[in-house]
Amino acid sequence: MEFTALFLAITVVMIVAWRGSRPLALTLFAIVLLACIRTYLHHASDTLKLSF
Amino acid sequence: MTRAFAITLNALGLYAIALVLAVAFGAQLLLHELPCPLCLLQRIAFTVLAVGPIMNIRWGSRPSHYALSLLAAVAGAVFSTRQVLLHIMPGDAGYGTALFGYHYYTLALITFVASIVLIAAILLFDRQFAEDGAAQAVAPDAFAISAVWLVIVLTALNVVSTLLECGFGACADNPLVYELLKH
Repeated sequence: MEFTALFLAITVVMIVAWRGSRPLALTLFAIVLLACIRTYLHHASDTLKLSF
Repeated sequence: MTRAFAITLNALGLYAIALVLAVAFGAQLLLHELPCPLCLLQRIAFTVLAVGPIMNIRWGSRPSHYALSLLAAVAGAVFSTRQVLLHIMPGDAGYGTALFGYHYYTLALITFVASIVLIAAILLFDRQFAEDGAAQAVAPDAFAISAVWLVIVLTALNVVSTLLECGFGACADNPLVYELLKH
């Protein structure tokens, strides 16, 4: 569900960047980027099976 | 580099992102390979990468817009590096079908790194940022406007596709069926 929300959020950011105000687009971009990083950290908990 | 040429380059960048998203959709629909959570995150990073060019086309070229793209490309490179490392051990067949001998996440890593280099190269040309009155705002042509809407539509299609795949719960680590289409 979080991935659907992220795709939806970035669609909104794109539309705001194209049709809306620049400061709002920049703010929404920062929020979405942070949400992506948070989602990544949540899913990066598997152990890497590296040989070193 | 003139402002108009910079806008054309940004539009070409959007078409390149649209191509990546379309190829990912093609693999999903034709090969019936559903994207894993990390694969989806890399697709999202490609769409985030598109915000900088859209703002450059709408508001004119600014270093801050390129900075947005750089941040998105670095994040995407981290996401794809993680998946490359997950499948780096000898004997690991990797996730999904290889395209031109590389898996999707390896191609994604190459593309994100190439994006960083290309954006840095474009930033070298200061004239596109010059504030000389009339030249400040360049109205986007049909080529650029089409690129913007193409990427927006492909991103919106990913909303639908991901909702069908994951449903209203957490996405499966190795998805095999569309959750909302299960009988």
